[in-house]
Amino acid sequence: MSYVTRRRALLLGVVVVVVSAVAVLLSVGLRRDPSAAPSPLIGRIAPDFTLSQLDGKPFTLSTLRGQVVVVNFWASWCTECHTEQPALSQTWQRFQDSGVVVVGVNFQDTTDDAIDYVRKAGVSYPVVEDSDSRTALAYGLRGIPETFVIDRTGRIAARIIGPVDATKLTNQINSMLSAGEQ
Amino acid sequence: MTVRAILPRVRAQLSVILILLAMLAAGITLAVVAMRGRGGNPSEAQQVQQIAAELHCPVCKDLSVADSPAPLARQMREQIAQKLRAGESPDQIRAGFVAAYGDSVLMSPPKRGLSAAVYVLPTIVIAAGLVFAVTLVRRWVRRPEAEPVEDDAAPMSASDRRAVRGAVARLRQEEPDQ
Repeated sequence: MSYVTRRRALLLGVVVVVVSAVAVLLSVGLRRDPSAAPSPLIGRIAPDFTLSQLDGKPFTLSTLRGQVVVVNFWASWCTECHTEQPALSQTWQRFQDSGVVVVGVNFQDTTDDAIDYVRKAGVSYPVVEDSDSRTALAYGLRGIPETFVIDRTGRIAARIIGPVDATKLTNQINSMLSAGEQ
Repeated sequence: MTVRAILPRVRAQLSVILILLAMLAAGITLAVVAMRGRGGNPSEAQQVQQIAAELHCPVCKDLSVADSPAPLARQMREQIAQKLRAGESPDQIRAGFVAAYGDSVLMSPPKRGLSAAVYVLPTIVIAAGLVFAVTLVRRWVRRPEAEPVEDDAAPMSASDRRAVRGAVARLRQEEPDQ
């Protein structure tokens, strides 16, 4: 093989490797569910918090150990939070007697606006106020709505960015409940 | 060797010297900038600013926590100040945010794992560029020697000279008008 032929073969090899690498990266990236965002907290114990509910009573996450907890960050000014609200209420009504708790964490909002929205939307699950965003920062929040699903051992099992899908959330909770029964 | 033969070699050597000088100037500038960054004991506000400048604002695009006017960035700055007052070191504070947000919260990626490529790749590219430049310069230097230079050509032999003169004379006889 001549020098020129060898150089051409080498160049072709480099191009093939680069194109293949880009193709693999794209195929992996495009198959991922954009709402199921990675988080360094997944698999770790969920950061604990004690926050005031809208009626002023304290609420501590760690007291719910042994139950599946859905922690939803929301605000009254967030339109996507309004979109997902029925799915969360539906989940709460369906699973509250099966050891599942839904908790709304009100983010960068006023108490009056939050109370007003909760009353109008008929939210019956506990809602707490994260007035200094300390809890949001502990959960690595990048925007709202954002939801974390915590298993019975207190570990974060899933992080959902954007409005929750009722079917996906139900499937997730069912799999966690059935895993707990085994 | 004539001036025309030497010129490409001089030009190539000058290019190498210029490249080396530019690299030296860049190195000195970087060193000066790095030295300037280290002052005496910074105040709490300065420390907050320093740490905040190293963190990405999570709800903004391409803004540090120090530069962002977003409420969450302001609350992050407040949290940094509170943690400093509580005795946490800047490294511990950064680690706290990384634990919640991952390495992407850092303005400069860490020098480990896949992120290390950000630091290694430019060095590789610069090294490859240098090798390429040196190869190119060496070729420029070698090329004039390989080509026959008119001034250095071997003188004509007497028989060749006679043959040329004969050919010219024949041409003149064949074309007398010109």
